[in-house]
Amino acid sequence: MLILLVKGAMATLVLGVAGIAGGTALGVVLAALSFTRPWPLRSAYRLYVFLARGTPVLVLALLVFYGLAAMSIAVGPYVAGSIVLVIYASAFFAEVFRGGVLAIPAAQVESARSLGLPPLAFFRKIIAPIAFRYALPPYVNVCVMIIKASSVLSIISVWELTLAAREIIERTLDVFTVLGTAAALYFLMCFAVDRLGRRTERDLMRRGFMPERA
Amino acid sequence: MIAIRGLHKRFPNGTDVLRGIDLTIDDGEIVALIGRSGSGKTTLLRCMNFLEDYDAGDIELDGATLWYRTDPTGRRVRMSESAIRARRQQMGIVFQQYNLFPHMTALENVYLGPCESQRRPVAEARAAAQALLERVGLGAKTGAYPFQLSGGEQQRVAIARALAMRPKVLLLDEITSALDPELVGEVLEVIRGLVLDRMMMVIVTHELNFAREVSHRIAYLSQGRIVEIGPPADIFDRPQDPTLKEFLRRVR
Repeated sequence: MLILLVKGAMATLVLGVAGIAGGTALGVVLAALSFTRPWPLRSAYRLYVFLARGTPVLVLALLVFYGLAAMSIAVGPYVAGSIVLVIYASAFFAEVFRGGVLAIPAAQVESARSLGLPPLAFFRKIIAPIAFRYALPPYVNVCVMIIKASSVLSIISVWELTLAAREIIERTLDVFTVLGTAAALYFLMCFAVDRLGRRTERDLMRRGFMPERA
Repeated sequence: MIAIRGLHKRFPNGTDVLRGIDLTIDDGEIVALIGRSGSGKTTLLRCMNFLEDYDAGDIELDGATLWYRTDPTGRRVRMSESAIRARRQQMGIVFQQYNLFPHMTALENVYLGPCESQRRPVAEARAAAQALLERVGLGAKTGAYPFQLSGGEQQRVAIARALAMRPKVLLLDEITSALDPELVGEVLEVIRGLVLDRMMMVIVTHELNFAREVSHRIAYLSQGRIVEIGPPADIFDRPQDPTLKEFLRRVR
């Protein structure tokens, strides 16, 4: 039983990493969109965030599953599951990154402007690293949320920890031991992500990212 | 040479901060702007490198008009962003709150601009940054992050960062106002060194003794105008304007 659950946890981890990686990439692009000047782009950003964030993951999963089928796009359950998580995560990540950028003190931006930094260097050297520092705690928050959200993917037959647990329960009827173990595995994964986040935070502090002093 | 003509600026809330500033600054000249808070001296400085826009008037550097141009229909429009960036590099500014980049060491803060904005080779820019930090007395702290430096040290890094761009003018915005009194001296010492280099400077300051010591001319601003301007001896010892007399009486 435990081996099956650990295998399920591995599948969950793969889905989580895919969702977080894809969601981060898409989130960065979306957040950048929210700072562009043409209003249609900014409206498109807001609409996307409203929709992706306002839809329950379960509904989103079913929509993607049937949507892909209706468009006769044949993909495996893991790809479909990853797409769901990427869409869901990207909306939250985008807002997290937007918040990080908004938190950058105006003084830093002025300094960079007074040096005449070209746009790309301005983003790479100033905006991205400082915004990332401010965004880190809520970013970790969303990562944990995504790992747990992957459990609803069992509804579209993605075999992961929750589905593995349900299969075992069907055979053994040992509800509480199995669910308890599954919950412990989820907790372990989320705990690891949290620790990773804290360590990154500490490393960043050593490299000059101290909290703003008044 | 800098020539400012008829500079007007109104804040979005309707206050007229600058009501027609005319000021010419020669190469190698140091002009101090004094006046009570709200008189427009910091805004004037910030307009000079376009951290603030302005509603009317011209700023010229060596005969070339900065920041705005006239389009074919005669309207006044902002220059392109790349033109603005290029011209900003000629106007170094040092801020009251240092504003160093917190995630970069002292050395990285100083060579970022030359590397990224002026495309100078990294090795050369680093060497120049090292030399500048030595010059401001921080040769041993090039690897320190801003949070590991005192206020005075951070401000000296900020001066080195501005100088690294080899600007034609240095704008100093109340650079000692945020410092503990015992740290003011080390920063002013660095500025004294620049005076000997005949660096063109515009200084906004509350340190009137320092202004008197280093400046060639003092401009007294009140309510968005330069009310009185002249050599330090005239301004401090023979003030004419009644509000200037009052201002000097209060700060002494």
